[in-house]
Amino acid sequence: MDFSQQFPIVFASLNTGFLQTLRLFAITLIGAIPLGLLLAVAEMSSFRPLRMLIKTIVWIIRGSPLMIQLLIIFYFPGLVLKNPIWGSGETGRFAAASVAFVINYACYFCEIFRGGIQGIPVGQEEAGLVLGMKPAQIFFRVKLLQVVKAIIPPMSNEIITLIKDTSLARIIALQEIIWAGQSFLKGSGGISGAIWPLFFTGIYYLAATGILTIVFAKLEKKLSYFR
Amino acid sequence: MPILEVQNLRKSFGETLVLDDISFSMEKGTALSIIGSSGGGKTTLLRCLNFLEKPDSGIIRVNGETLLDASASGKADFQRNIRLKRLHFGLVFQSFNLFPQYTALENVMLAERMLAKEQPDWKERKQARIREIREHGEMLLKDMGLQDRMNNYPHQLSGGQCQRVAIAHALALNPDILCFDEPTSALDPELTGEVLRVIRGLADRNTTMIIVTHEMTFARDVADYVIFMDGGVICEEGDPREVFSNPQQERTRQFLSHYSQ
Amino acid sequence: MKKIVALLLCLVLAAASALALADDKADVIAKGKLIVGITDFEPMDYRDTDGSWVGFDADLARKFGEYLGVEVEFQEIDWDNKVLELDSLTIDCVWNGMTLTDEVLSAMECSKPYMNNAQVVVMFADKIGGYSTVESLSGLVFAVEAGSAGEKVATELGLEVNAVQNQASALMEVAAGTSDAAIIDALMAAAMVGEGTGYENLTYALPLNDEQYGVGFRKGSNLVDELNAFLDACTADGSLLELAKLYSVQGALIGE
Repeated sequence: MDFSQQFPIVFASLNTGFLQTLRLFAITLIGAIPLGLLLAVAEMSSFRPLRMLIKTIVWIIRGSPLMIQLLIIFYFPGLVLKNPIWGSGETGRFAAASVAFVINYACYFCEIFRGGIQGIPVGQEEAGLVLGMKPAQIFFRVKLLQVVKAIIPPMSNEIITLIKDTSLARIIALQEIIWAGQSFLKGSGGISGAIWPLFFTGIYYLAATGILTIVFAKLEKKLSYFR
Repeated sequence: MPILEVQNLRKSFGETLVLDDISFSMEKGTALSIIGSSGGGKTTLLRCLNFLEKPDSGIIRVNGETLLDASASGKADFQRNIRLKRLHFGLVFQSFNLFPQYTALENVMLAERMLAKEQPDWKERKQARIREIREHGEMLLKDMGLQDRMNNYPHQLSGGQCQRVAIAHALALNPDILCFDEPTSALDPELTGEVLRVIRGLADRNTTMIIVTHEMTFARDVADYVIFMDGGVICEEGDPREVFSNPQQERTRQFLSHYSQ
Repeated sequence: MKKIVALLLCLVLAAASALALADDKADVIAKGKLIVGITDFEPMDYRDTDGSWVGFDADLARKFGEYLGVEVEFQEIDWDNKVLELDSLTIDCVWNGMTLTDEVLSAMECSKPYMNNAQVVVMFADKIGGYSTVESLSGLVFAVEAGSAGEKVATELGLEVNAVQNQASALMEVAAGTSDAAIIDALMAAAMVGEGTGYENLTYALPLNDEQYGVGFRKGSNLVDELNAFLDACTADGSLLELAKLYSVQGALIGE
C-alpha cells in the first residue's frame, strides 16, 4: 500500500483520535477553571483548617505525576473496592480521564488564580472601600480585570501544556491521537509498520497550540490598554 | 457644633501602641494639618477615621452623630453600616490607588455609579443619571485642571496628574471631611506644586480637610489649625502661626528645626 | 512506569487475597457480556477496513461468547497493564496471542495452550544470510519488547538487548537502524515483515525457542474451565482448523 492509499485511512483515524484529544481538552478547561477558582477562594479563607486542607490537596496533586493519578482513578475502584464504577468501553475511560485531568489542572489553576488575586495591591481594595463600594463590587469592578490580565501568561502556559498532556491518557487506553498514530506501527486498517502517522500527529498539536498562541496573544493585546 | 469630634482614640498593633489617647475636634469649613515624623501615628489616625482600621477604643462623632464607639462595639458593630459611615469621609492616598483599567473620568464616575445603581429609581432614570454623573465627573476633573486628560488611563498620566484625579475621585461623593495622607510624598519634587495648588484652591473654598503632610510651609499657610504628633500622642496643637513660629515643646522644636534649614 | 505498576499490583494482590473471588462465570452471564482485552496485533486481533475487530483470536472470542450466551465487547488495552485491567474488573480476559510465560501463568488463570509460537530474529533481508546459528548472533544488539518472551529468550542466550515499549517499536528500531535486529513472536513477524508489508526489507529466521499461546482470566476464575471445554469442542468438530485456515495460521495450531 503506497502513501496515497495510506493517507486517507490514517487521516480519518487521526481525526477521530484528535477529536477525542480535543474533547478531553475542552472538558478539562470547563471543569478545572471553576473548580480552580473555588479552590483558590478556599485557600484564601480565614479558616485555617480549610486552608491547610486545600494546601495539602494541592501539594499531593501537583506533587505526583498525572500518569499515576490516571492509573489510580481508573483502576482503583475495581481493583480495591471491587466496584468498577467507570463501566466498560471508551466512555468509561474517557470519564475517568476527565476526572483525573479536571482535578489535576484545577490544582494548578488554583495556584495561578490565588497568585493573581493576592498580587493585586492592597491599595486597590482600600480605594474601593473608602469610596463606599461593596466587597463584591470591588472584586468584579476593580480587581477582576486586573487579575485576568495578570494570569494570562501563566494560564496560556498551562493551557498549551494541557493540550499536549492529554496524550498521557493513553496509559488507561484512551484512544487519543497518539494512540491512533501508534496503532499503524503494529498494524491497523491494513497498514502495518508505518511510522509516519505517529510523527504526523505532531502537525495536529502544532496547529492546536498555534491557534491557542494566537488567541492568547490577542487577549493579551486587548488588555494592554492599561498597566 | 464641631463637624468632627475624636475622643480618646487608641490603637495598637500587637504590642506596639500606635495611637495613644488621641482627642481633637474641628469646625466645618476649616483645614486641619497633622505633622510629625514618620511612624508617629498620623497615617493610622487617618485610616481609623476612614474605617480601614478598627480602633481599640475611642469615639468618632460627625455632626454630632456617633459613628463609632470602639470600646462599646464588637467586630460586628464595627462592620455594620460601615459603608455609609465611610461616606462621611474621603481619603486621598499617598500612592493615588487609581484603578488602572479605567480612564480618569471613569475612575471618578465609578463609585457614584455604584451608589446610584442601588437607588430604587435607577432603572427608569438610568440614562439621565449616567449623564448627570458624567457631567459631575467632568466638572470635578475640570476643577483639577484636567479637562484635556479625562479620557487618559492612569499609566498615561504623570504622578501629579494622577494625584489630582485621585482628589476628584475622593470628592465625587461629596464627603463631609476630605482626608489627605501625605499627598505629595510619592511625587517628584517638580510635581508637588500642582497638587498643592489644587489643595490650596479647595481650602480657599472652605472645604473641610485633614491634611497629613511633610510640606511645612504649605501646612503653615493653608491650615487653620495644626496638630504635631509624635510617638502616638498629640504633642502640641494650635494656630499654625503660633506652633510654627513659637513652639512650646522641645520635641516640636527639634522636629521643626529639621525643616527650617 | 513498571515500578508503579508493580506497586499497584502489590496493592491488588493484598486486596485480592482479602476478598475471595466471586463466581466469575455467573458475573459475566449476569451482565450479559464478556469484555475481551486486546491490542492491535495482526493476525490475531486487528481492525477490518470497516473498523470492526477481526482476526483468529477475535473470531474465536466471538464464538466463545455465543457458546456462553453473552455478547462480546472488545476493549483495546495497554499491554503493560493487562493484569491491572483484569484485576480491576475493567476487562474479563486477555485474548490476544498471549505467550504463556511464567509471569503470565502466575498472575492470571490461563487456559490450555491453543497455538504454537516461537521467538524469531528479524533483520534486514540482505544481512540475515550471515547469521545461520545462534552462536553467530553474539555481538549484535537486539530490540525486544520489555517484559516479553523475546526479552527472556535473549537474556537467557546472553545477547545484548535494547528493551523497548512493544514489539512494533522493536521492528521500528531495526528499520531505523538503531538496533541490529529484533526478537519478536513468529506469528507477528509472519504478518508484519517481508513482501507486501510495511517492512519489505526485513525478514525473519532462526526460531530461538518453543512457546505457546493461551487466554488469560482473573486469578481463580471459573471461566477457564468453560473455555477449555469450548476449545476441545472446536478442535473435535474441526471449526478451529477452519478458522485457522482463514487467517493462514493453521501451521501453528496445536495438535496439527
